[in-house]
Amino acid sequence: MGRTITIDPITRLEGHGKIDVFLNDQGNVDHAYFQVPELRGFEKFVEGRPAEDMPQITSRICGVCPTAHHMAATKALDDLYKVEPPEAAKKIREMIYSAFMVEDHALHFYFLGGPDFVVGPTAEKAKRNILGVLGVVGAEIGLKVIGLRKQLRDLISLAGGKVIHPVFGLPGGISKALSKEDQAKFVAGANAAVEFGQFSLELFDKVVLKNPKYVEWIISPAYTHQTYYMGLVDAQNKVNFYDGSLRVVDPAGKEFSKFKAQDYLQHVAEHVEPWSYVKFCFLKSVGWKGFAEGADSGIYAVAPLARLNASQGMATPKAQGAYEQFFKTLGGKPVHHTLANHWARLIELLYAAERMQELASDPQIIDPNVRMLPTATPKEGIGVVEAPRGTLFHHYETDERGVVTRANLIVATQNNAARIAMSVDKAAKGVIHNGHVDDGILNMVEMAFRAYDPCHGCASHALPGQMPLIVRVYDQHHEMVKEIRRN
Amino acid sequence: MKTLVLGLGNELLGDDGVGTLAARALKEQLNRHADVDVVESPLCGLALLDLLLGYDRALILDAIMTGMHPPGTIIELGPEDLDPVCAPSPHYAGLPEIFSIAEQLALKFPQDIRILAVEVEDPYTLGAGLSSCVTRALETLVRRVQTRLTCLAPSPSTGEGQSEVAKG
Repeated sequence: MGRTITIDPITRLEGHGKIDVFLNDQGNVDHAYFQVPELRGFEKFVEGRPAEDMPQITSRICGVCPTAHHMAATKALDDLYKVEPPEAAKKIREMIYSAFMVEDHALHFYFLGGPDFVVGPTAEKAKRNILGVLGVVGAEIGLKVIGLRKQLRDLISLAGGKVIHPVFGLPGGISKALSKEDQAKFVAGANAAVEFGQFSLELFDKVVLKNPKYVEWIISPAYTHQTYYMGLVDAQNKVNFYDGSLRVVDPAGKEFSKFKAQDYLQHVAEHVEPWSYVKFCFLKSVGWKGFAEGADSGIYAVAPLARLNASQGMATPKAQGAYEQFFKTLGGKPVHHTLANHWARLIELLYAAERMQELASDPQIIDPNVRMLPTATPKEGIGVVEAPRGTLFHHYETDERGVVTRANLIVATQNNAARIAMSVDKAAKGVIHNGHVDDGILNMVEMAFRAYDPCHGCASHALPGQMPLIVRVYDQHHEMVKEIRRN
Repeated sequence: MKTLVLGLGNELLGDDGVGTLAARALKEQLNRHADVDVVESPLCGLALLDLLLGYDRALILDAIMTGMHPPGTIIELGPEDLDPVCAPSPHYAGLPEIFSIAEQLALKFPQDIRILAVEVEDPYTLGAGLSSCVTRALETLVRRVQTRLTCLAPSPSTGEGQSEVAKG
């Protein structure tokens, strides 16, 4: 429309995601923008610190997935020192990481994402939470989830030092080998996780997929975007959370590129909008074409749905069966429905559990040799993992003593930021007409939130007296006409 | 009666760490009490569930940003003061959700939960440390917890502790 919109980007957001909606002369949505509060001071904070501290420092950025940051940082250190960890170390790392993925995915599905389906997106607000879920599936299952999570978190603690700040990642390996006793505990935990994964998929099938109304909701155009998809895959192009190459497929599902983490800057670029301090990632070779879908726009997505789309299957048998059913049900690859992330998450949960089982039972995993000492002079290191919510990059530059001179993180949410913005825009356009703003916008946007589960890197917690979303609506003169927050 | 003093917060993120730091300051003194555990945690969301299980009483120390009080104000809350919130993401789930879950699942959760929250100024800047008003509030908070525990559990405490109470 040619209108310039200037928004003061310095506004304090109080730890909330902020959505600004701009209306045109007719009172319809011109554009809606989604902003997150910035994590301030990161670059300054890490400069001058030993790179070996980064696994501990970065694991404290997020109070929900510290293990993901710890692992990405550890791998960046491997690259920084050009050192290859012994096989046992890699396997232990991946096993712990798999336990973390199961635990996090379980948490998300049952307590947060699941309610949209198990209870139903049109159910009254008061029921669309874990309590509503428990109302449907029974308290026993709630206890099962909590019990499994505790079991897995205790295992991670066992091997990782402390679950809160896992201290076990070192350049070239890990700090502690796995004893036979601990191995047996991991096997038991993995078996419980596999059973739980299968149970969860059965539950999803029973409660969600057998309900045509829910399926209709999943495939509704309101949450459908045809973008590129990116995820880590192994040598057979199967999903892997810990290591491999990044594979990108186009909106038609064809392989577009495949590259190593070290080359990410040749493939991924960041676009800055004047109204936001979030940098929007896009595929460099396709280019930034605005908040648009399709093969001509460089916007891509990460996270469970993207990972299934970007791969050619799951590396373990039960998960592979679930993967096949997923695409069969939803009409083939790739699937563009954002809400399908919840289903994809459960398939990943099962894979992570099976993978944990494989690794825990591997005789090599109790090998005492878990560290290769670095000898190279450090300069630059890049590490990548698949965090629960998507691809996570850690990139460090250091001096010859290994002291950080520069650090850059691309977190999952940044990879998804452009697509999230499109979802918000679409949601706003769906509920705002002729100047009439419905409080239902909060629900529409929150549903997208739950599917992407954006991490804002803000305060690791706060007493949530207020809800973390504020929607502000501006008229054609950029005067605020309405502010909606959940109270 | 087992009491938990739980300090929440990420000390790397400016004022956000006030709860954690308060717990840390209290650990030394409270270690002498057999029935009191002091825990610091930067975890958020539903991970907090694990921490609270099994205690009869909990005193939670935390940062809060309501915008309704001058930074440095200490606000006391109970679970009844927290809105039953429908959090859209694990990143926002917190104490209200946990209380609801515990109730629904009949988990062994503390019967008596009090939250002492410090209204903060800047919980977003990495490495900034506490703002000056929050630093002062930290000292007050620590004394307040000591007083509270002396009232709760008349276990033998040192002379030091009691004179601090008198000052506080």
